[in-house]
This record gives sequence, structure tokens and C-alpha cells, in this order.
Amino acid sequence: MATTERRTEAATVGTNTTTALQGAWWKYGMGLVMCFVIWGAFFLAGQATGFVAKGNLARIVFFHVPSAVLSSVCYFVGVYFAAIYLFRNPQHKQAAEVDAKSAIAMELGFLFCILATITGSIFAGLQWGSFWNWDPREISIVIMLLLYASYLVLRAALAGRPEQRAKLAAVYALVALVPAQYLLWAVPRLIPGNHPTDVLFKKETLSPNYKIVLYSSFLAFTLLYIWMSQLRFRAYKLRTRLEGKRG
Amino acid sequence: MELTAQTSLSLRAENVGHHFGVRTVFSRISFEVAVGQVCVVTGPNGSGKSTLLRILAGLLAPSEGSVEMRVQGRAKTSVERRQFLGYVSPDLTLYRELTAAENLEFFARLQGITLSRDDLIARLTQVGLRGRGRDLVGAYSSGMRQRLKYAFALLSNPPILLLDEPTANLDVHGIAMVEEVIAAQRRRPDGGITILATNEPRELTWGDRTVHVDSTP
Amino acid sequence: MTPPEASHDVFRAGWTGQALTLLAKDMKAELRTKVAISAVGVFTFASLLLLGLATAVLKEVKTVAITRLADPLTVQGLIAQMHPAWDSPSKMGLLWVLFCFAAFAGLAHSFVHEEETGTVTALRLSTSAEAVYTGKLLFNLIVLLVVMVAVTPVYMAMTGMSAGSPFVFITVMLSGGIGLAATATIIGALAAKAQGTGALYGALGLPLLLVFLMLLLNAAGTVYVVNAPMLRIVKDVGGLFSFGILIITMSVMLFHFVWEE
Repeated sequence: MATTERRTEAATVGTNTTTALQGAWWKYGMGLVMCFVIWGAFFLAGQATGFVAKGNLARIVFFHVPSAVLSSVCYFVGVYFAAIYLFRNPQHKQAAEVDAKSAIAMELGFLFCILATITGSIFAGLQWGSFWNWDPREISIVIMLLLYASYLVLRAALAGRPEQRAKLAAVYALVALVPAQYLLWAVPRLIPGNHPTDVLFKKETLSPNYKIVLYSSFLAFTLLYIWMSQLRFRAYKLRTRLEGKRG
Repeated sequence: MELTAQTSLSLRAENVGHHFGVRTVFSRISFEVAVGQVCVVTGPNGSGKSTLLRILAGLLAPSEGSVEMRVQGRAKTSVERRQFLGYVSPDLTLYRELTAAENLEFFARLQGITLSRDDLIARLTQVGLRGRGRDLVGAYSSGMRQRLKYAFALLSNPPILLLDEPTANLDVHGIAMVEEVIAAQRRRPDGGITILATNEPRELTWGDRTVHVDSTP
Repeated sequence: MTPPEASHDVFRAGWTGQALTLLAKDMKAELRTKVAISAVGVFTFASLLLLGLATAVLKEVKTVAITRLADPLTVQGLIAQMHPAWDSPSKMGLLWVLFCFAAFAGLAHSFVHEEETGTVTALRLSTSAEAVYTGKLLFNLIVLLVVMVAVTPVYMAMTGMSAGSPFVFITVMLSGGIGLAATATIIGALAAKAQGTGALYGALGLPLLLVFLMLLLNAAGTVYVVNAPMLRIVKDVGGLFSFGILIITMSVMLFHFVWEE
């Protein structure tokens, strides 16, 4: 009796997630890919030229680059849901859920941003001898980090008023899009830097083994992000249900 | 806004409900007020009388349901609604750093009304503030501020009046002034609508009908 | 929350007229109470003195670019190549850091005051969101420009910052003023609705200004290039100007959601 009840609850909570990925199979798959990336990063990929520690330092790329890319992707996902929240009929039943999705994307973006900043700083410290160089990428990511933090500060300040919080946070996310988009195209041109982006995106410099591990890493991180979003969203739904029962 | 005798005017709430977060203030309130009527909204403290009036005024979007105001058969949006109504409420405040006259002149200009000196004096006289127009609102007593709110609400001569706690802080003369405002509203050629939110036994008798708001199911 | 409604014909006075009426009211109240101008002004002048004290030594420091030195190194050649370590573009950068802090110390006042005293209700009943935004933006811009006009000459005298090419200098200052006032206005509206303290205002606004400051430093570099090519001026100053314009565009689209409940 109790188990069936729990199962229906889990089912209703699960069905409303909009992502097409359902069930457990892909999570096992993700685990395998992640294991492959960790193994591949140290054993499959060879030593890169032009980096310190006999090129072993370059192995951080498999973890740094996917987090850095995800940290900006998350922002656009958050902004997308924020825009939907604002411009759709306010009495729409899913309005609160759309807001939750926006907030979840921002929280995870903040997390990936921290990871990218730390891994980037470790790389910079070992490669260039200083953990902070005012390189355009470093500046961009730390600005991104602050934008995420401000967004979360605003949400925290409005904790008691969910409707106001949803609306004002959405407006803030969209306004912050203005500086965020300069980070993509203007900032790298404003300041000269030595970030090894070119090495990564010029085809001839990347060995096939590197490519396989890097692309697998992108896949694994993206799936990880989706899984984490789903978990956060489920937690959100259970929490609101609990509050509804109590209130 | 001066409307002609033929003007049709209607105000209707349909299944209006509001909630702050998970807390429901009220839900499924429906009523329609006809022209020439005075409607009294009653309910215990915290039942959401003021929230309902804010929703009717278009100052707050309802969580569910809708408010429909039609002027000459045309439905008005929540922002458009505001030019047809006068609103007096405890949450309404005028600028303390300006004088009463400056306040009225400022809001009149915003609303596109030209206010001559005589008009201004007439409006201040109407609410019993003659001779006090040059005082800063910051120096006003709470009763005088309540009177000035009436002068603000009546600026555009609106066909709909929404009065939340209409006689708060008012003395006997002030209450008589409010009674006169409501009586004048009934006498309008186009038949005005008045909605009061109150629990005062005396004010309950002013209405033709009552809407009861209560959150307890 | 409701989608923006076409409200130009809602009130009989056009929204530009309403915006100017609101601006006139704010100016009148400001001249009476002088809250915003004194907050921003005193903050800026006090910071200016702090800055003057802290940078007194910095002015003396001179530096030489190693790559520019001639092969037979002489003392005369060295002295000829020496230039102040703290050059005009970075002086301008510091001036703008000061303006950014000053703006976020005082420019929320015009919204916070309406919100705290409860005059928002009367304002919402009488005018449209567009008019309020425009009025407040203009008011903040005027306050900021007044402070800038008062402070910049003092700062120039104190630190020896030169004006470079005057036309470009003024364009950069104006573009910067617009960008800063625009950011301070929309964030002020947000902070006022969030019933935030000054700390929240700064925390929300200053991260947005980091990119703005980078664009500004870039444009400041152009001010001091002798006979800078027109293309570079347009690119650099235009980049700075675009920040303000984008923030204003975004604000016009979104202010409705902040203002209405």
C-alpha cells in the first residue's frame, strides 16, 4: 500500500519535467562516460606540447573547458526561462515552476562557474606562474561569477515574497544579459591575453585521442547538468507540495 | 472624467482570488456592481478587503480570475481602468515634501487636467482644507491627510470611487464630507459606482448591497 | 506580470509630458531637500580627498618602457624616455570608479523614497510606467552630470589628469554618464521594490558596472592618443555608448514588470 503510494507520488513529480530524458538508463550511461573521461584524461590522452610539467598540466582541459562552457550555457538557459516567466500569462499554472527552472539554471551555472574559475586558476598558476593574471578569460569568468552571485543575492533578499522574487529576479537576469553579452565578444578584444583557446579550436593541433576524451567530457558534463537540474526541480516540487500541505 | 448620461459603465469581478506564495488570501469572489449603486465590502481583519480593492483598482494583478470594467461597451485594461476611478486608502500617500496645492497640481498635470487657481481653491474647500493649501503635507495631521486624499481621488471627477476605510482619522465634519462625496456620486447623471471597504457599523448602512470577504472556507 | 499594454493613449497628457512633469516635481523636491545631490556630492568629494591622500606618492613615480631604450644607454636618454607611471587613462579610470561608487550611494533615492513613503500608489494611479522610467532616468542623469561637472575639474587639478582631445573627452564623459545613470536607475527601481538597503543596491549594481568600466577604460585610452584615427574613436567611444543604450532599451522593455504588481 505504502509503496504504491510512493510510486504514484514519484510518477507525478517526474512527469512534469520537460526534459525528454526519462528513466535511469542514461544516468548509468553518463556514469560510464564520466569514468571513461577520468581514465582517458590520464591514460588515453598523450602529453601535450607547450605546457609545463611535461605537458601533463594540459590534462586539466578535460574538466575545465566543459565547466566553463556550461557556466555560460546555464546563464542563457536561466534567461530563457526568465523571459518566458515575464512574457507569458501571469495566471498560468506553471508560472512558479518556470521561475524555479530559471533559478535552478542560475544556481548550477554559479556552481560550474566556481569550478571553471578554480580549475582555470590552478592552470594559470602552474603554467604562467601566477594564479591570477588579469587575462580576459579570467576577468570574464570572475564577472560572470559576480553576476550569478548578485542574482542569488537578490533572490535571497526576496525570500518571503515568491511572486515578487520571481518577477524581480527575472528582470535582473535580463538586465544582466547586457554586460554578459559583452563578455562573449567585446572583452577578449579589449585586453590582450594568453589563454590557449586557439590550441583547442585549431583542428591540426589536437590529437585524435584528445578529441575523443574532450568530446566525451562535454557529453558527460552536459548529461550531469541535466541530471542535476532534474534532481533540483524534483526537490523544488516536493518542497512546494510539503508547504502546500502544511499551509 | 465627465461621462454623458448615456454612458454605460459596468464593473464586474469574476472568480477573483489572490494568494501570496502558498497562502491564499481569498478565492472565487464574483460580483457585479450596477451604476448608481454603493457596494460595501466587509470581512474580518486580514481577510483581504484592501487586497480586493487594490485588484479592482488595477493596482494588483489577481492570482486567479479577472476584473472587467466596461465603459461604453469597451473593456478596459488594468492600466486604462485607473483613469476612471478615484482611490482612497490607508496605503495611499501624497508627497510630504510638497505643499497640498503642489501635490494636487502635480497629479492633475500628470492626469492631463488643467487646474486653475479657482479650481484648486474649490477643491480644497470641498474637503475642508481651504487656506491650508500652502502648508507642506509633512506638517499635516493624519485627519488632514485623509481629507487631502479625497481631493486627490476626486481630481478627475471619476465615475468609480474605491474607498478603503473611508473615514479613517476623520472628525465629525470629515465624516459628513465623506457622506456628501458618496451622495454626490449617487446623484451623477451617468450614475457613478462606489465601493467601500469597511467594518464600521455606521458605514455599513451607506451601502445598497454587501460583498463579504472571508478566507475561512 | 501582465504583458506590457499599449498605454500611450491611456492618459490624456502624452507620456513625454508626464515624464517632464515628474522630472519637474523631482527637481522641485530635490531643490527643497537636496537629499540626492548632497548624498552623491558629499560622497564624491570625501572620496576625492581620500583618493588624493592615497595617490600623492603615485604622482611622483616615473617609469620607462624597456623596449624603447636606445642601445648606448645614457642618463639623458633615460630621462628623456621617462613618463609618469600613473598616466591619464588610468587616472580617468579611477575617477570613474569614484563616480560608480557615488552613483550607487545616492541614485536609488528617487525610487526608494517613493517606495518608502508610499507615494508609488498615487503615482501609479496617475501615470504610466514609461513616463515614470523616463522621468527618473532624466532626474538621475541630471544629478550625476551636475556632480560630474563639479568634481571633474577638481580631480583634474588634484591629479594632473589632462583633457586630451577635448571633443573626445566630453563625448566619453557623456557616454559614461548615460551608461552609469541608466544602470543606476533600473537597479534602483529593482532595489526599491526589493525593499533593499544600500548594501543590496551596490551588490546588484556594481557587478553590472565591471564590463562598463572596462569599456570606459578602453575609450579613455583613445582620449589621450594624439590624432587618433576616426575609426578607432568611433569604435571605442561607440562601444562605451552602446552599453548605456542597451541598458536603456532593456529597461524600457522591462520596467513595466518592476513597476506594476
